[in-house]
Amino acid sequence: MRTFLVDLHIHSLLSPCAEVEMTPHHIVMRAAEFGIDAIAITDHNASANVEAALRAGERYGVKVFPGMEVECMEEAHIVVLFDCLTQLQAWQSIVDARMNGLKNNAEKFGAQFVVDDDDNFIREEERLLLAPLQMTAAEVVRQVEALGGMSIAAHVDRPAYSIVGQLGFIEPDFGFTAAELSTVGWRNNLQSRLQRLTGFLPYVTNSDAHNILDFVQGPKNLITVQELTLSELKLALKSSGGRLWQAGKFAKFED
Amino acid sequence: MKVSELMEALNLKLLTKDVALDGEVRGGYASDLLSNAMGQAQPDMVWVTMQGHQNIAAVASLIGLAAIIVAGDAPVAEDTLSKAELNDVVIFATEASAFEVIGKLYELGIGKE
Repeated sequence: MRTFLVDLHIHSLLSPCAEVEMTPHHIVMRAAEFGIDAIAITDHNASANVEAALRAGERYGVKVFPGMEVECMEEAHIVVLFDCLTQLQAWQSIVDARMNGLKNNAEKFGAQFVVDDDDNFIREEERLLLAPLQMTAAEVVRQVEALGGMSIAAHVDRPAYSIVGQLGFIEPDFGFTAAELSTVGWRNNLQSRLQRLTGFLPYVTNSDAHNILDFVQGPKNLITVQELTLSELKLALKSSGGRLWQAGKFAKFED
Repeated sequence: MKVSELMEALNLKLLTKDVALDGEVRGGYASDLLSNAMGQAQPDMVWVTMQGHQNIAAVASLIGLAAIIVAGDAPVAEDTLSKAELNDVVIFATEASAFEVIGKLYELGIGKE
């Protein structure tokens, strides 16, 4: 068993709301610098920067889980994670077919950039990513599971764009693997208060960063597993066989 | 006003089967945030929403709402209806927007008492 510091909800500059400094290469480089062993790049309804992150991750020795922050029909956010890029690409093609067809307004919402693993501009994503898909939360969870991935109900303590905010509560059989608390939610100790509303799911804490400072400083998880795979992550969330998932952990850095 | 009269007055489509329509409607509430509806809606109210997830049936049953109107032609999941029927929750659908539905409810005097 080994213990790793992981942050599974990070936006790259493909998300309109993220800073342009959030290139896959830059995120991976900072992860290596601050001892963050594994990350997931999770852009809104998009994944075109994940391949660059995987390449950069290989160079810097940082594990990258292919991921996405999905906005379902109920206008709630779900972090979905996969073991390999082909699974994510299969998921992306499902997502593409369920978009609303609107174009992004870069001036109002922010630009959406695809780059390579050396920070070179490749293209601008023109579709409106910050919008709900024509797919219910239940269907997202089901389809992601069918592809071998896992679903985390994002920032459940937040009133906006969370499953708990939109749908009131999470039935224990919904199919989520975990519930994520936002930085503020964790700081305010909302775990026990939300326990019933989140169907007693285990909690995770991620930075949900849109800039480098939030990424480096934001909450992460210290997990003890045999290897960095989704099946091990799931076992750690159940504290199975000596594995461990400790939310609310941070990177160490000097001022 | 009874639920059945409301259905007729607003020309609503009844989605749930074998659920009594003789409940009395007292006031109304509108929200697409279930977390908010759970805290604010009162017993016997009619609830106007665009959410079709099965949790709307649970919220209505929990509070004891008179009926749910899913507005704007929003899709209602199959399991929402089975859950509603199991818990004696009436669900209507309409193509009219939530704004229109609420306006008509108000004209009928619901929410004014």
